[in-house]
Amino acid sequence: MSRVRTRDAAAFESLYDAYHRLVYGIAFRIVGEAAVAEDVTQTVFLKLWSAPERFDGGNFGGWIARVARNQALDIVRRKSHSETELSEAMPDSDLLEERVFSEIDAAQVRRAIAQLPAEQREPIELGFFGGITHAEIARRTGTPLGTIKTRIRTGLGKLRSALEGTVAV
Amino acid sequence: MNGHDAMLEDVAVYALGALPREQARAVREHLASCAECAAEYRRLKPAVDAVAYSAEACPDAASGAVVPNPRLKTRIMDEVRRSVPTRLSNVGEMRAVRPIVWPAYAVAAACLAVALITTAFNISLNEELHQTEAQVAQLGTHAKMLTRQVAAQNTELVDLTSSDSQHYAVEDGEVVRHGNRLYIAMDSMGTPPRGKVYQAWIMRKGAAKMTPSVTFMPDRKGIAVIHVPTQASQVAEVAVSMEPEGGSKQPTSKPTFIVKLT
Repeated sequence: MSRVRTRDAAAFESLYDAYHRLVYGIAFRIVGEAAVAEDVTQTVFLKLWSAPERFDGGNFGGWIARVARNQALDIVRRKSHSETELSEAMPDSDLLEERVFSEIDAAQVRRAIAQLPAEQREPIELGFFGGITHAEIARRTGTPLGTIKTRIRTGLGKLRSALEGTVAV
Repeated sequence: MNGHDAMLEDVAVYALGALPREQARAVREHLASCAECAAEYRRLKPAVDAVAYSAEACPDAASGAVVPNPRLKTRIMDEVRRSVPTRLSNVGEMRAVRPIVWPAYAVAAACLAVALITTAFNISLNEELHQTEAQVAQLGTHAKMLTRQVAAQNTELVDLTSSDSQHYAVEDGEVVRHGNRLYIAMDSMGTPPRGKVYQAWIMRKGAAKMTPSVTFMPDRKGIAVIHVPTQASQVAEVAVSMEPEGGSKQPTSKPTFIVKLT
């Protein structure tokens, strides 16, 4: 990233090669259309090129994933006409210290998520990729709100433990 | 479960990014002063980042999984390269092939100073140009998104105003059916009290009870135009009632209106 800040196009290309599948994958999962997901990917990377100072340190993958999610959800929000209750955008950076998985692999994560019980996996995926609130998740799944909150916490905890067994943290 | 256990669950939902704005603000403020909740947030946040990684597109197109179009990279890198400023090293290369005139040190120094100033000026101009180009590219992308949104709204507008649409008047608005699409269009709805929303209900033909549909809020002027996601031809009745946030499985209040679709 430090080389990108000095307008190094080759460094930017390396970043693109390393992270474009992550950005596009998140966008596609949220918007569900290849053309729109490409628009989101283009916007995210050109924003990164024009304002690299927005990334102020920490885990770059986690940061660009949040930017991609917020950008894609903006489009869903514009289309939704307030039919659903939508959650707040995730901050691009967190004030709290954030320990992150230093080596993360999509296949490992997919396996770990697949091992979660469906009742925990579903609210987590709806919340992250659907951009809706816990209350809306409760309504859609016909589950009490308190149960949804418990399942989200339990599921994220299990996911954390499962990944701790496979990657360094 | 005590109050603090409940807050720990809210912290998990906050880490997932699934809290509404006001609750998210409250959790954020709490995290700044509660070590236990802050630790829980730090424990769960990487798991949320991991969820994002699960969506990473597969690098192998032959697998049949979703992959970005390779032309996307060309498009982005074209934008980036167009905006890269001139490098100082190019100036050095140009100077190397120029004949050096001795002993005009003063003239050479002056030329070098002019060259450096000009280069710096060029870099500044290129920087501005690059920012402008990036903004134009972003605007282009935004324009495409807006075009799609306008197309969807045009469909809605045509449906609402078409002469072959069926209009069913209700208090403060109407229900509109066009083909297999169904809308609720209200023009002076009251704002629900805090913690409440409006919820649409549909009664399918042959059904004995109402099915819950979307929740919604009118704007400040009381206007709400809602597309009801259903096959309109299968719907016998439409109703709206005021419900707790998140909606209900069964109506919990007297409907604002019920209308039969003939």
